Amino acid sequence: MSEFLPWWATSILLAFITLGFYLANNRTLGVSGSWTRIVQFKSDKDFAEAQSSLTERPKMFEDALMAATIEHFGEAEVARFLESRHQQVPRSEENRPMVEVKRIHWTVHLAFLCSLILGGLIGAAIRGDIGIQMDMGSVHADLFGEGFAYLMTLFIGGALVGFGTQLAGGCTSGHGLSGASRLVPASLVATLSFFSAAVIFSMAIHYLG
Amino acid sequence: MQNTTIRDYVFYILFGIGMGITLSLGGLSDFEQIHKLFILQNIPLLLVFCGAIGLTMLGFCTLCRKRDIPKKTLNGGTIPGSVMFGIGWAMTGACPSIALVQLGEGKFGALLTIFGILTGVWVYRAIAAPNFRLDTGVCGE
Repeated sequence: MSEFLPWWATSILLAFITLGFYLANNRTLGVSGSWTRIVQFKSDKDFAEAQSSLTERPKMFEDALMAATIEHFGEAEVARFLESRHQQVPRSEENRPMVEVKRIHWTVHLAFLCSLILGGLIGAAIRGDIGIQMDMGSVHADLFGEGFAYLMTLFIGGALVGFGTQLAGGCTSGHGLSGASRLVPASLVATLSFFSAAVIFSMAIHYLG
Repeated sequence: MQNTTIRDYVFYILFGIGMGITLSLGGLSDFEQIHKLFILQNIPLLLVFCGAIGLTMLGFCTLCRKRDIPKKTLNGGTIPGSVMFGIGWAMTGACPSIALVQLGEGKFGALLTIFGILTGVWVYRAIAAPNFRLDTGVCGE
């Protein structure tokens, strides 16, 4: 068993990373969001197109609304209505919709996740614990078994992590570090929920299993 | 997109590597350590979380008081999603970042966890999200 850093050193480093990440990137740290963007990398193109069509061609939006109105009420009815109003809706070019959502390219998120792998490799090298290991240690084997049961535990557990973090809107870094530290209600609820669930589940398999 | 610069890549990679090393050195990628934390027999690791949140709080209070940082919304998915995540974490010893750190450390079982995460995210986004209509927001976008 290799030595780990003292708790206070890990705390300081994690706080430094969470704050530094926000200050450097102007986005709060959140790893589950990077997973989302990688899984949905195809939606980046749609997002860019939708955004440029809104900012560069604002009339497209109005035309689409008008087309939908005509489809719903019929052209004659719409023409009669416009005539009865005797007016044109003022349209100025300055009346552009204020849509400006900054979104970085999904490959940045891919690079981020890959650099976590690299960080793990460097960390293991520093601890002098480098090498290929197929299991998750004897404690995991005692609790969940080996062979097929072991593989299914990891896959199902991973799927729960993936689905759960998406449904909850964040994970340990997004809700736990970035959110709970700012006392965001949703993040406090999420952090208490996932920690309690993990404690109850672990206690149950440890003492009852 | 036009907003992305080389600077984004550099900072994301630097913080990714730093975070990976920290999680690995801190013992957070070790299943035994995490399991002991969850049966409340690993007080140092509990202190890691409390300390990190406390120090981050201090930092956000002093450095970013005047900034308006977006907040996530509490909705019907927050609690069920977090409970699922907590159970998944207890089963694999991995949260979304730690699965990758474990792979880097040479724990090849993490490949299955990662495959599971990708499946879970895909199932949520492709099948569940269009039906749930929850404003979950996206983390770290």
